[in-house]
Amino acid sequence: MRALRTMWAIAVREFVALFRVPVGWLVLALYAGLWGGMFVQFVLVPGAPATMRPLFATAAWLMLPIAPAISMRLVSDELRTGSYELLATSPVSELSLALGKFIGAGMFLLALLGCTLPLVGVLLVVSDPMPDPGPMLAGYLSMTLLGLLFLSVGLLASSLTASQTLSFLGAMLALFVWLLATTAGRTRAPEAIGDILASLAITDRLEGFAKGVIDTGDVGFFVVLTGWFVLAASMCLGVRRWL
Amino acid sequence: MIEARNLQKSYGRVHALAGVSFDVPPGQVTGLLGANGAGKSTTIRIITGYTVPDAGWVRVGGVLASRDPIRVRQHIGYLPESAPTYGEMPVEALLGFRASLHGLRGKARKAAVDKAVDACVLQSVRRRRVGQLSKGYKQRVGLATAILHDPPVLVLDEPSNGLDPGQITETRSLIRRLAEGRTVLVSSHILPEIERTCDRVVILARGRLCAQGPLEELLAQGDHELVCEARFQTEPSAKEAARAVGAIAGVGTVLPREMDDGVERWHVGFDPATIGEGDLRKAIGSNLAAAGAEVRLLEREKASLESLFLRLMEQGPDAAQAGSAA
Repeated sequence: MRALRTMWAIAVREFVALFRVPVGWLVLALYAGLWGGMFVQFVLVPGAPATMRPLFATAAWLMLPIAPAISMRLVSDELRTGSYELLATSPVSELSLALGKFIGAGMFLLALLGCTLPLVGVLLVVSDPMPDPGPMLAGYLSMTLLGLLFLSVGLLASSLTASQTLSFLGAMLALFVWLLATTAGRTRAPEAIGDILASLAITDRLEGFAKGVIDTGDVGFFVVLTGWFVLAASMCLGVRRWL
Repeated sequence: MIEARNLQKSYGRVHALAGVSFDVPPGQVTGLLGANGAGKSTTIRIITGYTVPDAGWVRVGGVLASRDPIRVRQHIGYLPESAPTYGEMPVEALLGFRASLHGLRGKARKAAVDKAVDACVLQSVRRRRVGQLSKGYKQRVGLATAILHDPPVLVLDEPSNGLDPGQITETRSLIRRLAEGRTVLVSSHILPEIERTCDRVVILARGRLCAQGPLEELLAQGDHELVCEARFQTEPSAKEAARAVGAIAGVGTVLPREMDDGVERWHVGFDPATIGEGDLRKAIGSNLAAAGAEVRLLEREKASLESLFLRLMEQGPDAAQAGSAA
């Protein structure tokens, strides 16, 4: 219970801190701007079916710079300023620490997605017939799961370095290679490797959500990988005590 | 309250600590002294659980840090060097957050924050952002975060670092107030600060223990020391005279301090059981006269932590440990 309380305290601090620094507002503005531009370009098309599927289909690429920008300061900034020493000498386990930071960043991600909801309202007002709510809800679920997975990768990168720039670039590069290898890369790879890459493909799983299909296997894929990366980040924080 | 045994820690090829053992008794203010790179911060980081030692162990309040690190951290209030914190947070929010990390909530958290604000005299800045405060106030905020959960042990790493003389005086009296009823370990290389604040000292040099004990006892060792100042015609004659003084029965050490315009200054340690102070003065006087020196000063050394520290640094940890073993 105590571990949950301290974890929640870290999460709330992290969430609020993102609104106290310019980078939080910049990320918010960037994401809202990108969504708005794509909404006007690909969704708000006269005569086209009322659906946000084009947005959800490109969600992974859109999230590529956003999630690392949120996660880059989670641990790196604390290591740089030395405030990590205060956290690490508090009665908090590394897992609570990593989970707290991850949840705080996840709450900020939900705030980002919340900023796009007025666009859904616009679509509902201007469309006739009304868009099907199923694919839209599944799409937002996929965005949340995808964002959390990317944030967990960013958290791991952030726990490895005191440089926010390195953390940002490292996470973005890792995610870019992941997306590229599991899309274009797998068609050129030998069959055995191609099969492994296909099983790790994020975009394939997003397509199902975009159609309005919520497959528990796909949800499990995101949850398990996210948990694994958060656990790896907490282990990195533990290893720091031995350095 | 704090027991450290055989602490060893290396960073690559650098041995930061090479088998340091010491005790910090309950209810006392203990100073951790050493030159830069002596291993003070590493020792403190091991005690607070930030770093794990390569070998050795630490017990705080009877709890072994390696067995139950979370409980040990509950016992300790810690102010790291330069008091790092979250500059974007208001003082009150920061203290509330830190109190939450110690499991305080609701009314207990608010009461703890109010108490820490009062104790560290932060009323006028409690709603200001920490990043906007002066260094002295930031240090006070750091101290407030350290005492929030009313810990029995306070560990303060260089609390006076970078402060102006006025702020140093304020911080000193604040530490003295906070120390009431607590065990305090304070690291510093500002010796007068330690002398005024601490009951006990632990002295490190090059990652090894030089001395530990009550400040008065350690300073009493300096009572058996004469300061000798004399003008010599040539440098070789000064060295020869120093050797001759060192050869007097009962003289322990002859430590040259400084030389300026042909004036040599030595600290001559002696064993009063072998030679009396009067006889030693006469013997030194005759040796200096034989060397053709003009004696300017020959008096008992006024015991100070600074002279003790310098003596131990010159002797080095090996000599100090050999001395204590003997």
